[in-house]
Amino acid sequence: MAQSAAVGTQQQYNYAIIKKFSIMALVWGVLGMAAGLYAALELAYPFLNFNIPEITFGRLRPVHTTLVIFGFGGSALFATSYYVVQRTCQARLYGEGLANFTFWGWQLSVGLGALSYMFGITQSREYAEFEWPIDILITLTWVAYFWVYVQTLRARSQPHIYVANWFYISFILATAILHIFNNLAIPVNLFSLKSYSLFSGVQDAMTQWWYGHNAVGFFLTAAFLGMMYYFVPKQAGRPVYSYRLSIIHFWALAFLYMWVGAHHLHWTALPDWTSTLAATFSVMLLLPSWGGMINGIMTLSGAWHKLRTDPIMLFMITALSFYGMSTFEGPLMSLKSVNALSHYTDWTIGHVHSGALGWVALISFGSLYHMVPRLYDTKLWSLRLVYAHFFLATIGIVLYITAMWVAGIGQGLLLRAFDDQFGTLAYTFIETVTFLHKPYVVRALGGAFFVSGIVLMAINIAMTIRQAKVEQAAIEAKIASKMARA
Amino acid sequence: MSEANKQQGAVQTTGHSWDGDLQEFNNPLPTWWLWGFYLTVVFAVIYWVIYPAWPVGETYTRGVANTITYTVDGEERTTHWNTRALLMKEMQSGKSAQKMQAYMEQVAAASYEDILADEEMLAFTRAVAKGMFGDNCAACHGSGGAGVMGLFPNLVDDAWLWGGTVEQIEQTLTEGRHGFMPAFGRSLDDGQINAVAHYVLSLSDHEVDDDMAQRGMQIFNGREGGCFYCHTSEGTGLESQGAANLTDSIWTVADVPGQDSLDGKLNEVKRVVENGIERVMPAWEGRLSDNEIKLLTVYVHELGGGQ
Repeated sequence: MAQSAAVGTQQQYNYAIIKKFSIMALVWGVLGMAAGLYAALELAYPFLNFNIPEITFGRLRPVHTTLVIFGFGGSALFATSYYVVQRTCQARLYGEGLANFTFWGWQLSVGLGALSYMFGITQSREYAEFEWPIDILITLTWVAYFWVYVQTLRARSQPHIYVANWFYISFILATAILHIFNNLAIPVNLFSLKSYSLFSGVQDAMTQWWYGHNAVGFFLTAAFLGMMYYFVPKQAGRPVYSYRLSIIHFWALAFLYMWVGAHHLHWTALPDWTSTLAATFSVMLLLPSWGGMINGIMTLSGAWHKLRTDPIMLFMITALSFYGMSTFEGPLMSLKSVNALSHYTDWTIGHVHSGALGWVALISFGSLYHMVPRLYDTKLWSLRLVYAHFFLATIGIVLYITAMWVAGIGQGLLLRAFDDQFGTLAYTFIETVTFLHKPYVVRALGGAFFVSGIVLMAINIAMTIRQAKVEQAAIEAKIASKMARA
Repeated sequence: MSEANKQQGAVQTTGHSWDGDLQEFNNPLPTWWLWGFYLTVVFAVIYWVIYPAWPVGETYTRGVANTITYTVDGEERTTHWNTRALLMKEMQSGKSAQKMQAYMEQVAAASYEDILADEEMLAFTRAVAKGMFGDNCAACHGSGGAGVMGLFPNLVDDAWLWGGTVEQIEQTLTEGRHGFMPAFGRSLDDGQINAVAHYVLSLSDHEVDDDMAQRGMQIFNGREGGCFYCHTSEGTGLESQGAANLTDSIWTVADVPGQDSLDGKLNEVKRVVENGIERVMPAWEGRLSDNEIKLLTVYVHELGGGQ
């Protein structure tokens, strides 16, 4: 009976596309996090670049960020959004071919992008390093994604659109706008990969960080909140805590995020009023951000006992905690006086990773652990490996963040230390750099923990899929033998 | 919310359900959350009133009762709060800035002799020039000034290629230096270079074959090699040419101390004779102020014990 119901959903929904995206999320995740670990080791032990230009830190870093944000995060979002939109709309995903195009377009963009950075082809815009031909491919892919998603929503057999879908849609829309405006550039000529931005000077910087921060806001926050809004109540088996809160914090988030990008440019040539607006909107963003955390945690409350037996719940609750922590840290760092200390130090890197590892990666891991067995109609191969993954990841994050606090706040304080007697700067720049070595070693260690966690996950998921195939074959053999007898 | 929801009993949901069991409670907004949000809005509004905040047409709101006063060319200037004025003011009236400024003025007015004789000014020089040295000179000479064998001169040993008086060091810093020794790899054959190397090592009391050293000396002091033009016939070197003293056992290009065997030491010297030297110290005039050069001069002088 269960079997036939599952076969029903397998046919009702387009699961093939979700499986492909899920697998690629893990492939990019392993590659991207390994690249990050190597880059971290290069910072601690510079000889590790072996004078090979393709793997020097400057080129490896965008490879890392692109593979983890767009490869891992992006593929996880495609996978979960296609899963959520079908299941909450009770409608099959629109456009078989178009959906497949989004898969190949996205994978090709990520792969080509990462390769091009290694060969020095880059726009040098953080998180938007793709040169113009790849930008065009991304644009086409994204328009197709939007169309597939909206058409599926329109075909829903449910009168109401579930909250997770609002977040996914806002992510798709905002990302389209951000990507297009930040990448307005003119190629040197039609056959050149080099292009120049349409904007210049401080306006260029503003556009870039308007993009950069909203990539954090809509790609890395809103979209993963969409994931949270489906998978947390599903895994907990409880209703979402507050519909009202979800509406209010959704609109507040969408409205406030667009203003804050300039806080990446405090104390620069940026006009002071822009800085002020960015800082104040960042502070006002604190509680709307927390709205998502409250809704998630309160949804879990009442199902606390499940934390003892369900490692997937552990991933989700920890993700929400890190989300709450990094959305508190963000507004704090956006204040001009705090930023004067934190800017240009590793505190920023630590902050990004408490969000990226703690929130984005953990909620994705939890969601994938929930979703993949259902896609393949089986159970996870090993729950113990999920536990092991959880602890490796958590230890990794804690090591990473604390190392970066020490490095960042430490360097910030060294840079602004004065000699009491003479009023001169107490340290040379290079002294503040050599200070970083030990925290960098600890950071790399944290990274190693985190990478080994996702490797365990990849093994676990691969074995789960294999097990599903074996089970399927057994069932088919049974049916065949029954048919033969009949 | 609607009556229908209230009638659902103890658990209030919105009444919708998706994907089987997905439902939503309709709990009110947590009070602390709502008031927290209002509080941040109030914070923002106060911030907007005090600081430059909103663009209005071609200009922007300047912030109320929040001005900064600083001086430009002796003239007082008062503006609305802005980061540039804040920096100007900090550099003029900040506690550390004022302390440093006073010392800077004292040093600027003093002669090298006075600075070198005054413990306090020397201590200040060490404090401030350590940073300047670290940011400008250390990339080549190392943060401790020990240089890199073969590439950048060691500033803490007792040898001064271009002279170690404050005047000479100041000239080195201001105008830069071009350290040059021609390559003899083509003008002398291997045997001759080997002989010269023997002679050069003998100058710093290495035990080498006497005949070879004699032959080397003739090349060194004769027209074939002509080494004495710059290194002098005693081998002590001309400061005006930046030519090394070969008798002081201090090596900055040929890594003689780094080799254990005599053959190894000879090879080091031969390599330099064959390939020559081409080193440039950039000129810092225009990049550093006169006073900064002065401070660095004293600092570098102190590093190597001076002359």
